[in-house]
Amino acid sequence: MENKDKSNMGRDVIFRIKRFDGEKSYWSDFVVPAQKGMTVLEGLYYIKGTYDGSLSFRASCRMGICGSCAMKINDKPRLACETQILQLNSSKIKIEPLDNFRVLKDLITDFEGFFAKHEAVKPYLIRKDDNYAEPVELIQKPEELHAYYDFTLCIKCGACFSVCPAAATRDDYLGPAAMAAAYRFNIDTRDEGRDERMFMVCSDVGVWRCHFAAECSEVCPKNIEPAKAIQKLRFQAAVHMIKKALKRW
Amino acid sequence: MAEELHTRKVLEPLGWILQLLTGLLLAILITFHFFETHLIAHDALAFENVIARLTDPAHKVMYGLLLASVSFHAFNGLRAILLDTEFGARNTKAINILIVLVILGAFIYGLGLLFTF
Repeated sequence: MENKDKSNMGRDVIFRIKRFDGEKSYWSDFVVPAQKGMTVLEGLYYIKGTYDGSLSFRASCRMGICGSCAMKINDKPRLACETQILQLNSSKIKIEPLDNFRVLKDLITDFEGFFAKHEAVKPYLIRKDDNYAEPVELIQKPEELHAYYDFTLCIKCGACFSVCPAAATRDDYLGPAAMAAAYRFNIDTRDEGRDERMFMVCSDVGVWRCHFAAECSEVCPKNIEPAKAIQKLRFQAAVHMIKKALKRW
Repeated sequence: MAEELHTRKVLEPLGWILQLLTGLLLAILITFHFFETHLIAHDALAFENVIARLTDPAHKVMYGLLLASVSFHAFNGLRAILLDTEFGARNTKAINILIVLVILGAFIYGLGLLFTF
């Protein structure tokens, strides 16, 4: 018992949460008896059930799949359901809503614009021969799948967008998640909609606003590397636009 | 949303490619410039040696290239910073025109000084 790692033993941790009631921001402190394996999300549920039922946060799957519970934990965007309290090695945990999003209440932010940007890059397979009555199998080699597979793992949690300096200064900037999705479909060999997608990607709010700070890749809970996708997409965009310009001449 | 936000311009990809190329060129030319003025000889910055370099046609071409690279790289970088703001988003065309004029102005003014020697 004496040799047991202290970090595995339960202890009280203070949750310092940034609140917003629709008019003003303030901080609330709560004591959470953290146990080994207890996540920040479980801590938030504990607070909601024990101290303050009005504490608002978004959560769903509790296993890092849905991306709902992304929030700033000790100054870094993380999934609350995947962050264990004791592993933070801190007696006080600071929890805030994601940056670069409008806060609706407490830790809940407005994702409407984020999803609209995602939708704008047409993140789905576009085929000229779409025939739902008689669907055909689309053959793909394993190496063709591996080229884009990592980018399919995006859970749209918004962590990348919240740390993007370009998104912080331009409200209309598409952001890392949307552009990583565009790149994922652009390099899918089954896709035929690159031109349609490039329409948006090449625009003033697309790839040209990224300056490769690469913070998006740093914080991505799925290690997707949106910054890499954007750099590759930028090259695609440059070739696409120059080709278009030359054709016009 | 796509129609509303779309402003396709060939200036953006060209600007990005030229920014990369001028960046590389600057690294090479500035290294050479420092090598020549600080590492080869102790009196490289003496008045007569500076004049001798600036009257040499090969040096004129090199400094002309350096001037063009610096003018483009610096002001295109400034353009990118301005366009990253909401103000830039509202005044994109004006900023692009202004920056092109400033690049040309800086280059022509510098070239004028270079060719007085």
